[in-house]
Amino acid sequence: MSTVDVNCLVGHWPFRKLYKNTFEEVQKIHKANGITSGYVSSLDSIFYNDPFEGDEDLHEIIKGSNYHHVLTINPMLPEFVQDVKDGIKKFGIKGVRIYPGYHGYSLANSKLKELCHVLADYNIPLFLTIRMEDERSDYLVRPNKVHMDEVGSFIGRVPDNKIILLTAFSNELISIKEAINNHRYVRFDTSGLKGPLFAVEKMLEVFPPEKMVYGSLYPLYSFSCTYLTLKHAQIDENIKQEILSCLFLTFT
Amino acid sequence: MIIDIHTHIWAGRYESDKQELMKAAELYDIYRIYVSALKSYYPDEAEISELNFEVAKFIKEQPDIIGGFCYINPSNKDALDVLKKGIEEQDMEGMKLWVAAYCDDPKVFPLVEKCIGYNIPILIHAFHKAVGQLDNESIGSHVANLARRYPEAKLLMAHLGGNAYNGIKSIRSCPNVWVDISGSIFRRDDVDYTKKLIGTDRIVFGTDMPGSYFTNFGQIEDADLTSEEKQLVYSGNTLKILDRKGRIL
Repeated sequence: MSTVDVNCLVGHWPFRKLYKNTFEEVQKIHKANGITSGYVSSLDSIFYNDPFEGDEDLHEIIKGSNYHHVLTINPMLPEFVQDVKDGIKKFGIKGVRIYPGYHGYSLANSKLKELCHVLADYNIPLFLTIRMEDERSDYLVRPNKVHMDEVGSFIGRVPDNKIILLTAFSNELISIKEAINNHRYVRFDTSGLKGPLFAVEKMLEVFPPEKMVYGSLYPLYSFSCTYLTLKHAQIDENIKQEILSCLFLTFT
Repeated sequence: MIIDIHTHIWAGRYESDKQELMKAAELYDIYRIYVSALKSYYPDEAEISELNFEVAKFIKEQPDIIGGFCYINPSNKDALDVLKKGIEEQDMEGMKLWVAAYCDDPKVFPLVEKCIGYNIPILIHAFHKAVGQLDNESIGSHVANLARRYPEAKLLMAHLGGNAYNGIKSIRSCPNVWVDISGSIFRRDDVDYTKKLIGTDRIVFGTDMPGSYFTNFGQIEDADLTSEEKQLVYSGNTLKILDRKGRIL
């Protein structure tokens, strides 16, 4: 059975040196831990004036592998819908990732609504980044906070979109548990479950297992932190496998 | 062997925190856990007394696994007496400073001198924050100031100083400062960066349980460390700073 990391990246992070930021390094740590594939996006694209250029580079890096390309979109930029269509056609993208905190827009923005329409039409999941760095360690740039009440309202407005919430903390997810549990197609990844002790077990008391998918935010975050939290969780092994298998891809 | 130098029990959650720490020790094969008890940022004398009493009780209940750090508010009049009681009567093995005062505040000096006399480590919360910095919350430069004033003191800067790029750079030239990796920030490269700047002889394993465990364990596992270096971090360096017979100067 496949095991998948839904939240991995390749490229440069402008605020600190990353020691393991190549695709080879991502594959290496995945392979060492039995992860067979991943949904990978470009770190560079977050900061490029034209994110698509970063994704052209990413495509050249991962093409021919069994990793899935997640296209970075800033819906405040012109012709973003065309970028999505080009990403489908040229890169075979399997997701679109957005960074409202870094790109500075509200989840109520009409452009985001337009993006969601397009993604629903093409049945492509939206990867919604809640944060990248812990806000306490931001340097030079302080991205806007993505407020969870806005996330809850947003997912309520797009019932037909597949959405993966990336790097939200446990308490943040719990604060909108009704919105998450009531939306058939919303999932969250494990990269924000930094605590408390036995975090996975405690989250599964609030959410059904199908809501959780494995994501590491590697190479920004340490891979083993989230992986070992899941691996050592005192839960049924079949549930663990379900979380690692990323069944959200096939949910209908 | 794994020794966790930095864990807590929180006021109002004594029983549940104790249970979780003991469960983690068993599940994750942790040899020994060092605990301090915390509640408010500026605790008065009665609060401090109650918190240290709980730690002492935990040590008595689980002496093979639990060790303690005596929590001190340097602003309290009885601070020196609390430290004396903690070390001499309650079997604690170090002093814990949190956010009640900067660690290089002169009112901390008599406490540091007492710790030098006992030859015990001082665990100092230090956390540089881009947002939410508390009043009197130490960062690496405060720890460095204290280290230079008292080169014979064994100082343990917690959380890699919060943002390692601030904390580690600040204390890199202070050989009497060790750093623990406890806390909830788990960037891939912090431990490798720390090793590059200060080596592995001054890195100590800690977690902040019940806040987290694998968040910290995973960082050591992912870092570019040899198995010998990992053992130093997991327990070797900790044993050295807790050894009251071996003085650093």
